Amino acid sequence: MSIAISVKNLKKSFKNTEVFEDFSIDFEQGKITAIFGPNGSGKSTLLNTLSGILHKEGGEFTIKDFNHFQFSYIFQNYRESLLPWRTNFDNLALPLQIQNKSKEHIENKVKELQKLFDFNFDWKQYPYELSGGQQQILAFMRALVTEPKVLFIDEPFSALDYENNLRLREHLQRYYMLFKPTILLITHNIEEAIHLAEKIAVFSQKPTRVIEVVDNPLPYPRTVQSLKSEKFHQVKDRVFSIFQKAANL
Amino acid sequence: MMSKKYIIISPILLILLWAIVSQLQLVDKFFLPDPLTTLTQLIELIKSGIIIDDVFSTLGRVAISFAIAVVIGLPLGLWLGSSEKIYRSFEFVIDFFRSTPATALFPLFLLVFGITDKSKIAVTAFAAILIIIFNTAHGVMNARKSRVLAAKIMGATKTQIFRWILFWESLPQTFIGLRSAISLSLVVIVVTEMFIGTPSGLGRRIIDSQITYEIPTMYAVIILTGIIGYLLNLIFILVEKRFLHWNGK
Repeated sequence: MSIAISVKNLKKSFKNTEVFEDFSIDFEQGKITAIFGPNGSGKSTLLNTLSGILHKEGGEFTIKDFNHFQFSYIFQNYRESLLPWRTNFDNLALPLQIQNKSKEHIENKVKELQKLFDFNFDWKQYPYELSGGQQQILAFMRALVTEPKVLFIDEPFSALDYENNLRLREHLQRYYMLFKPTILLITHNIEEAIHLAEKIAVFSQKPTRVIEVVDNPLPYPRTVQSLKSEKFHQVKDRVFSIFQKAANL
Repeated sequence: MMSKKYIIISPILLILLWAIVSQLQLVDKFFLPDPLTTLTQLIELIKSGIIIDDVFSTLGRVAISFAIAVVIGLPLGLWLGSSEKIYRSFEFVIDFFRSTPATALFPLFLLVFGITDKSKIAVTAFAAILIIIFNTAHGVMNARKSRVLAAKIMGATKTQIFRWILFWESLPQTFIGLRSAISLSLVVIVVTEMFIGTPSGLGRRIIDSQITYEIPTMYAVIILTGIIGYLLNLIFILVEKRFLHWNGK
């Protein structure tokens, strides 16, 4: 087992609220870890601090071989991170353009990804011509087109209907099994967390600590069938009880 | 298109009101000729070609002033907007001169540039530059942070962020600036043409016909100037719609 992301004694506050006082956690390499916890438990703050959007006030963290070109972050407000003046194709190409890749390289990558996602866009259209769900899929593909080693995802499926939600989970798994990146996934949906993650870290309310990291040994790929399995429900019950305590329900 | 049908209502009403007022002789016929006389005079002026020279003189001056303003104002606006600190350093001067009526400065420009087209074009370009700088800079400064952030996380350089994000984000506001600038250019040019040393131009024609009491001609040229101003604005709106297809979506 090797550690990809290590956080030690992290300290971070906003105005008068202490989010992290002395926060430590390790994330394993090549695994999907879901971060689950009550509202305002600093889930997004953690990812924003790790990705350099926010500045820490104390403590340390390391991300193994961190490199912007091999790191992607899918924001909650994905709609506002797509570029409406670019066609769908050019939106997808943006991260590769930033890396000064050739046109052929970009076209090949887009084709590969399209195969994997089994999803056909009208590439000459613009994002505002897509539905919210399609925009989210586009934002997802844009994040994966660079084959990131580390991937942060903040509530990726919240805008999707259940059917597309399940479909996107399947795509993400397919990608994960192929490239094995380290994925941190913030979610408010317990089913989503257990469907996708091998580790589920349950956070407490502020000041945040890790209550427990629950193992989820279900083998990949986890189909919709596995949502009905005995094991799935065992893990879910376990996570739920911890969450119940954390949120004082 | 529903909106197109309604657009002709207000001009018809206005002409009707004008006809009624002059028919009932509510205003002395000398000061307000009836619409038919005025429009006949306008057609006469166009047919005989007398006015064409004036139209081209005025439009030529507007075009040169506007072109100078774009060439100087656009890059300056982009540069000033790229850093809040830089913009704040120049803000007072920009706001001061933007609030000073350009026409108040014309006598000064006459002193500097002499009684030629140069002084008209210089004062007009000056006024237009300020509007373009103001709007372009604000467009860049008010760019949505989420897109810039997304690009930063992808590892984009400052130049890439400027070229692929900030520039495009600023365009809607820049276009507002360009549209205001072309309208203002026409205003300032027409006013300056009323001063000495102008052989031709719509402003010249208006003031001459007023001095010689050719009142129908005066009205006809005022209306023609209005039509030209309206069309200039319309051209910009059409270009904007085509070019900024994503705006407001």
